[in-house]
Amino acid sequence: MTTTVVLPEVPSLGGLYARGAGLSLARRVRSGPSVLPDVDYVVRGVRSDASRLTEYQHLLGEPASDVLPAGFVHVLAFPVATALMVRSDFPLPLVGLVHLANRVTQLRPVLLDDELDVRASATDLRAHRSGTQVDLVTEVSIDGSVAWRGVSTYLARGVFLAGAVEESSETFDPPTPTGRWKLDGDVGRRYAAVSGDRNPIHLSALSAKAFGFPRTIAHGMYTASRALADVGAGRGDAFEWAVEFVKPVLLPGTVTVRIAHDGDGYTFAGWDSRSGKPHLTGSVTPLR
Amino acid sequence: MAQPTPTPEVRQAYVLGGNRIPFARAGGPYVRASNQDMLIAAIDGLVARFGLQGERIGEVAAGAVLKHSKDFNLTREAVLGSALSAETPAYDVQQACATGLETVVSLSNKIRLGQLESAIAGGVDSTSDAPIAVSNRLRRALLDLSRAKTTGQKLAAIAQIRPKDLAPVAPNTGEPRTHLSMGEHQALTTAQWEITQAAQDEVALASHQRLAAAYDSGFFDDLVTPFRGLTRDANLRPDSSLEKLAKLKPAFGLGLDTTATMTAGNSTPLSDGASTVLLGSADWAAAHDLVPLASIVDAEAGAVDFVHGDDGLLMAPAFAVPRLLARNGLALADFDYIEIHEAFAATVLTTLAAWESEEFGRTRLGLDGAFGTVDRDRLNVHGSSLAAGHPFAATGGRIVATISKELHRRKAASGSDAPVRALVSVCAAGGLGLTAILEAA
Amino acid sequence: MTDTYLNLVNSGFTKKVAKQLGLPQPSPLRRYEPGQPLLPGAVLVLGRGSEADAIASFLSSDWDLDVHRHATPDTRYSAVVLALTELTHPDQLSEPVLAVGGVLKSLPKGARVVTISREPRADDAPAVAAARQGVDGLLRSLAKELRGGSTGNGVVLALDVPVTAPSVVGALRFFLSTKSAFVDGQLLGVDSAAGALPSDWDKPLAGRVAVVTGAARGIGASIADTLARDGATVVAVDVPAAGEQLVTVANRVRGTALQLDVTAPDAGARILEHALQRHGRLDIVVHNAGITRDKLLANMSADKWDSVLAVNIASQLSINEALQTSGDFTDAPRIVSLASTSGIAGNRGQTNYAASKGGVIGMVRATAPLLEAFGGTANAVAPGFIETEMTARIPAVTRQVARRLNSLQQGGQPVDVAETVAFLASPAAGGIVGRVLRVCGQNMVGQ
Repeated sequence: MTTTVVLPEVPSLGGLYARGAGLSLARRVRSGPSVLPDVDYVVRGVRSDASRLTEYQHLLGEPASDVLPAGFVHVLAFPVATALMVRSDFPLPLVGLVHLANRVTQLRPVLLDDELDVRASATDLRAHRSGTQVDLVTEVSIDGSVAWRGVSTYLARGVFLAGAVEESSETFDPPTPTGRWKLDGDVGRRYAAVSGDRNPIHLSALSAKAFGFPRTIAHGMYTASRALADVGAGRGDAFEWAVEFVKPVLLPGTVTVRIAHDGDGYTFAGWDSRSGKPHLTGSVTPLR
Repeated sequence: MAQPTPTPEVRQAYVLGGNRIPFARAGGPYVRASNQDMLIAAIDGLVARFGLQGERIGEVAAGAVLKHSKDFNLTREAVLGSALSAETPAYDVQQACATGLETVVSLSNKIRLGQLESAIAGGVDSTSDAPIAVSNRLRRALLDLSRAKTTGQKLAAIAQIRPKDLAPVAPNTGEPRTHLSMGEHQALTTAQWEITQAAQDEVALASHQRLAAAYDSGFFDDLVTPFRGLTRDANLRPDSSLEKLAKLKPAFGLGLDTTATMTAGNSTPLSDGASTVLLGSADWAAAHDLVPLASIVDAEAGAVDFVHGDDGLLMAPAFAVPRLLARNGLALADFDYIEIHEAFAATVLTTLAAWESEEFGRTRLGLDGAFGTVDRDRLNVHGSSLAAGHPFAATGGRIVATISKELHRRKAASGSDAPVRALVSVCAAGGLGLTAILEAA
Repeated sequence: MTDTYLNLVNSGFTKKVAKQLGLPQPSPLRRYEPGQPLLPGAVLVLGRGSEADAIASFLSSDWDLDVHRHATPDTRYSAVVLALTELTHPDQLSEPVLAVGGVLKSLPKGARVVTISREPRADDAPAVAAARQGVDGLLRSLAKELRGGSTGNGVVLALDVPVTAPSVVGALRFFLSTKSAFVDGQLLGVDSAAGALPSDWDKPLAGRVAVVTGAARGIGASIADTLARDGATVVAVDVPAAGEQLVTVANRVRGTALQLDVTAPDAGARILEHALQRHGRLDIVVHNAGITRDKLLANMSADKWDSVLAVNIASQLSINEALQTSGDFTDAPRIVSLASTSGIAGNRGQTNYAASKGGVIGMVRATAPLLEAFGGTANAVAPGFIETEMTARIPAVTRQVARRLNSLQQGGQPVDVAETVAFLASPAAGGIVGRVLRVCGQNMVGQ
């Protein structure tokens, strides 16, 4: 039976990272992951802050309305999932986890005044050609009904499970661009400020180097949320927003993008126009 | 689709004349001239041409795309600095490159409704005297500083400022949502419609040759007033040739997997300049001994969703014109003149290509086939922006004044009552387009 | 365009030095301002006969001047009018001329001496002709003796012209007034009794529409200003390249600007079309547009010769032709054309310019009769050294010498030319036909 851990408030990511770093060191010596802890983490009565919301909306290019952008709900709720990931019985090390993909289902608008209940769990531990991946599922409910559901897929590189590896190496053919993102060197720090995600790989070249990146890299969720903002009002009140992160965006940097109508919804892609290599691909599909 | 409602009977609004200063290249002879200086010069030249000294005009509407914040009421300030009566009301309009045409359309509508008897439409732009902004961080810090009451708050505000925040931020012509420049956007459309450099160069050459011929024949004697020693548009290259144009290196579309075709020669340069158009009712024209040149018959604005890749940034006129013509029961062949603003030679060619395309006509315009073909001899007969230059908000006034004079001339020469018509099409940033029908008076 | 020398010799220490050195002593000229009285003081009218009496009576009654028929001691006369139309013998010059001599020393600065005489003719009795021609020599010499910015000019009446004919009165008033400040030593012929006196001497051109070519700057701009001041509606014409300055002029005079190259084949038609369309009529055309391309004839290129002739004379002929054949230039029309003293006396390096300006003089003489049926006239104004942007480019020493080579020992101002043009364009000048009036301060060269 699933255990429910109720936290008094959304924990700070900074503290969780510190804990996660310690545990990762300890865990690295273990031979391999086996099972996920059968536990849900819950925080009730989460409120958002108007000025933080406005900062977020301005940074991402969302209109400054009282409707919480789906990406903002993610930054509100995800630390609850992170708390689960730093449990000692969580099989993968927090530090060095790579955000592979994210899928959000926005069922109805979340408003600034809404009191949110957040529930997070981990599921589907599975093999990847470079290691092991897991889905962190976060649900946000208002008055008992789910308004927002996020599934964040993480990869622990070099941590292998026994079993078959799912092959996915689609080739990327750059489409006709519709725009361009010019990302300043401080985009990582600015997104860190509004999201609370102060992972050192986003903050300075020096700290990024410590983790094996040549320069600071942009938060994946920043790029995904910009794509969502670029889709604009056409996404409607209810939609599914899916993204795959292929290659990190080094900062400062320029991402050539295509955010375009595709059938009933939108597809988007961001790539390096010089190499033709993709950074992210995804879609936004209205739910009607 | 609902049946279009016939336009209600209203009186006519006429173009009575125009005046502009020669268009300069950015950093050229107008480098020290402000938007206000240039707009005053254009208005004063109009006043001198038509003897409007001290006249209280119904309204003056003009605008600038690149505007200093101190110029919040640019047009009114220009009127106060001009030879017009200080009791002439004025206001600013901003619709990117369609600003000038929009002032003509909206003021003529007011005249048609009887709200105005006379009006001056116009536009001005300076890329030489463009406003430079401070960075967002510096601006926020300075605003905090101005609100700070205690020394501590003031020091805290100042402490936010980092050295790199002090670098000025120059405006650019990039689209705010896509961050692609207009040229890059057009390059995508150019590639999509497979427009060759040779075809673009031909459009550019015709523009230079026709504008030069019009100057040489004295056509612009009563349309242009020199300013700061410049007597003709500085960008005009009467001796241009296809060979010279072909040698220019592509400037836009370099990152695409198709051949880049857009060069500095077949794209408009950044320009400085101002234009005005005098509009009036028949009564006002008669009372002032002025000859109506052309009436503004109808107009249609359009917009495309370039943000999500549906259409090219500058393709809105391709949609607006078919709607405009349908409402007026006209076809392209009913027009003696077709003026398509040459933002780029390729803009003209992609618009023509779309109209000639069966598929575009069926799938995008909802027609049975292609919309139609433009007779090149009727297109931009006295040259257009490629030769004249393109000070964004001033282009509409240039086109309307030029083609109105030509319409009147043609009608007078024909000695017939048959209508002589012009179609004017201006594309604009933001995926906008504004189109209008003019008819010789 | 400041005459520094003129300023120096009229102020303080430098004035004293100049006097001791015997340097030329030019006097600043008083010029017209609206509201100015015709004469600041009394006028002495000399000469015998009923015509002299008629002039005296007119000045007194119509213009309310303080008219004396005999010199009164201790009176400083602002003007002396020598009424000599009834001379039949040179002997009769003695009395009035010596009487003038008696008051010359007491004339104030800027005084006026005006002779009124009749034109000598071949069929005159020899004594009559001698007396009449004698006035010519008398006036030109007298003008050279006047100092302090005073001028001497003459009105010369054709055989049957009464002394109170509009153009006689008009010319007399012009010569008496400050409007003729730089006109000196000139004899202006009045050919007929045509013309009309204005109802308002301050607005003699009210209701008239005037075209001024070359109006963007210098003398042309001043002509536009002056015609507008006198009540005319002005169409300011200049080449498109001068449009920016033209706007300033047109807006200043509340007229209209017409950018036009006068050498264009349709220039006359376009001028007429603009004037009729915008202002309903055309009455006055001032041909002021002109260029110089100075070169000794030995070095003259065809381009330099042809362009000067094209602008300065051929364009005027073509425009006049268009006006005359239009049927719309028929209500007492006036053509006033700018000639030059170069066209009269010649000037080294200006064969092309002088040919064109001489041509102007011939043109107005032959054009005037074509307009007479409509009460029209054509006349020329020949400026001497006028302080303009053009003369400012003359080398400094040459310029200083050129300025002093006239009786007033200074250059004229554009407005001096403009005032003369305005007079010839006025209804009162209807009896002055095909004449040339020099505005040169009695330049020592030429006729």
